[in-house]
Amino acid sequence: MIRILLADDHALVRRGVRLILDSEPDLEVIGEAADGSEALALAAADPPDLAVLDIAMPRMTGLQAARELSRSHPDLRILILTMYDNEQFFFEALRVGAAGYVLKSAADRDLVEACHAAMRDEPFLYPGAETALIREYLERARTGADIPDRAVTEREEEVLKLVAEGHSTKDIAELLYISVKTVERHRSNILAKLGLKDRQELTRYAIRAGLIEP
Amino acid sequence: MSLFWRIFSLNAAVLTVAALVLLFAPVTVSATARLAEALIILAGTAVTLVANAVMLRVGLSPLARLTRVMTTIDLLRPGTRLVARGQGEIAQLITAFNAMLDRLETERASSAGRALSAQEAERHRIAQELHDEIGQTLTAVLLDLKRVAKASPDPVRDQLLQVQESTRNSLDEIRRIARRLRPGVLDELGLASALRALAGEFTTAGLAVRRQVHSDLPVLPKEVELVLYRVAQESLTNAARHSAAQHVDLVLSEQNDGGVRLCVRDDGRGLRGAPEGAGIRGMRERALLIGADLSVESGVTGGTSVQLSVPA
Repeated sequence: MIRILLADDHALVRRGVRLILDSEPDLEVIGEAADGSEALALAAADPPDLAVLDIAMPRMTGLQAARELSRSHPDLRILILTMYDNEQFFFEALRVGAAGYVLKSAADRDLVEACHAAMRDEPFLYPGAETALIREYLERARTGADIPDRAVTEREEEVLKLVAEGHSTKDIAELLYISVKTVERHRSNILAKLGLKDRQELTRYAIRAGLIEP
Repeated sequence: MSLFWRIFSLNAAVLTVAALVLLFAPVTVSATARLAEALIILAGTAVTLVANAVMLRVGLSPLARLTRVMTTIDLLRPGTRLVARGQGEIAQLITAFNAMLDRLETERASSAGRALSAQEAERHRIAQELHDEIGQTLTAVLLDLKRVAKASPDPVRDQLLQVQESTRNSLDEIRRIARRLRPGVLDELGLASALRALAGEFTTAGLAVRRQVHSDLPVLPKEVELVLYRVAQESLTNAARHSAAQHVDLVLSEQNDGGVRLCVRDDGRGLRGAPEGAGIRGMRERALLIGADLSVESGVTGGTSVQLSVPA
C-alpha cells in the first residue's frame, strides 16, 4: 500500500483527489494539508511514501515544501499537482527534488499513473517540459555540444523534430501517417534513449543544458 | 531689453537713417515727381524694408528655433532642450518652455506609470482569481466526473467522458488566459526563468528563438523585471507577427555600470520606415517608468533590433 500525503489549499480539490486516489487498490491518502508548512508538520509526525503538492499555496508554496521535504525525508517521493503549465516550473520542481509534475487539467487522466511512476523513481514528464528538453537536445546536437550518445533511428529523429516544433502527438500521427499509439511508443523510446526516463540523469541533463541552475 | 523695445528701436533706427538721408542729401523732389526722383525714392524704400526685414529676422530667430522644437517635441523621448540663448525676454521664454517640458515629462511619466501599474495590478488580480477560484472549482469538477463516469453504466459513461473533455478544454483555456494576463512564472521563479519560458512559447516551426540569459545578473527590483519582461514579450510578438524572421536572439546581459541590457534582434524584414505603432510606444512608456533607455533600429540589410538599457 502506498501511503500518500496531500497538500492543496482548496478543500474541493483535495476532496476530489482523495476520492480518486482512495479508489485505487494500492493507493491510500493518509493526510491532507492546506499549505506547505502544514504538510511538513504532517510528514514529520507520520512519514508518508509519497507527497502530492500544489504549487500556489499560502504561507509556504509547494516548491518550498518540496525542497524541505526532500532534505528531511530523502526516501519520500514527491509529485507536483498544479494549474501552471510552464516547463520552467517543471524544471524548478525537478531541482527541488520532485519526481513528477501533473497538470490539474489532466489530473483525472494522469494522476494515478504519475503516482505509480514516482514510486518506480521514474520522472513523470509534463508535455511542455518534454518539448523543451527535446528542443534543447536538438539544438545541442546541432552545435555539437556533449549529449547522451545513443543511436536514434531515422523515424525517431523525424518524431523528435516534430515534437521540438511544438506539434501534438495527434498532429505527428497525421503528418507521418502512423497511429497515435505508434507516436507515443516512439516518444517514450526516444526519452529512454536520451536518458530522460531516469530522474537523476534527467536532472543532471537539465542542469548541463542550462535549463535550471544547479 | 524687451522684445517690444528691440523691435521698436530697430524700426526707429531704420526710419531715422532714412529721414536723415532725405534731410541732408543734396536732393529735391519736384511737386510732380520726375521719373528719376520716383525711382530713387522707391529704391530707398526698398532698401529700408530689406534692412528692416533682416534685422527683424535676426532679432526673432530664437523664436523660430523654439517653434521648430515645439512642433517636433515627443514626450516619449525626453531630454530635448533648447539652449537659452538670445536676449532678455527670448531667453526667458526658452527657459520657461524648458521648465514646462520638465513638468510635462514628469507628469506624463507619472500618469503613464499610474495607468500601467493600475493595469498590471488589475491583470494580476484577474489572473489570480481565474487560477484560484474558477480553475480550482473546475479541477474538482473534473475529478468528480472521472469518479462518476467510473461508476456509471456504459451509455452514460461515454457522454460523461465527453463532458470531461469539455471541462478539460475550458480549464486549459482559463489557464492560457491567466498566463497571458500575468505570467505566474515571473512572480514565482524570477526573470531568467520567465524569459526562458517566453523564448519557448514563441518558438515555432518557422521561428527559432535563441536566448542567452547571463547567470550572474544583479538582483533587480520587481518593477524593473516586469518592464524587461513586457519589452521582451512585445519585441518577440512583433518579430513573430510582422518581421517574417527565422531567427530571433534574446540576450539579457550585465552592463559595465552594473545595470542590465536587454537586446532582442531578428533577421526579418526590418521596419522599412513604418511609423511607430502602439506596441513600440507602449515599450517607450514602460522604459520611461524605470528611467531606462529604449532604442528600436533597423539594420541596412533588414532585421530589427530592440535594445533596452536599464541603468544601475
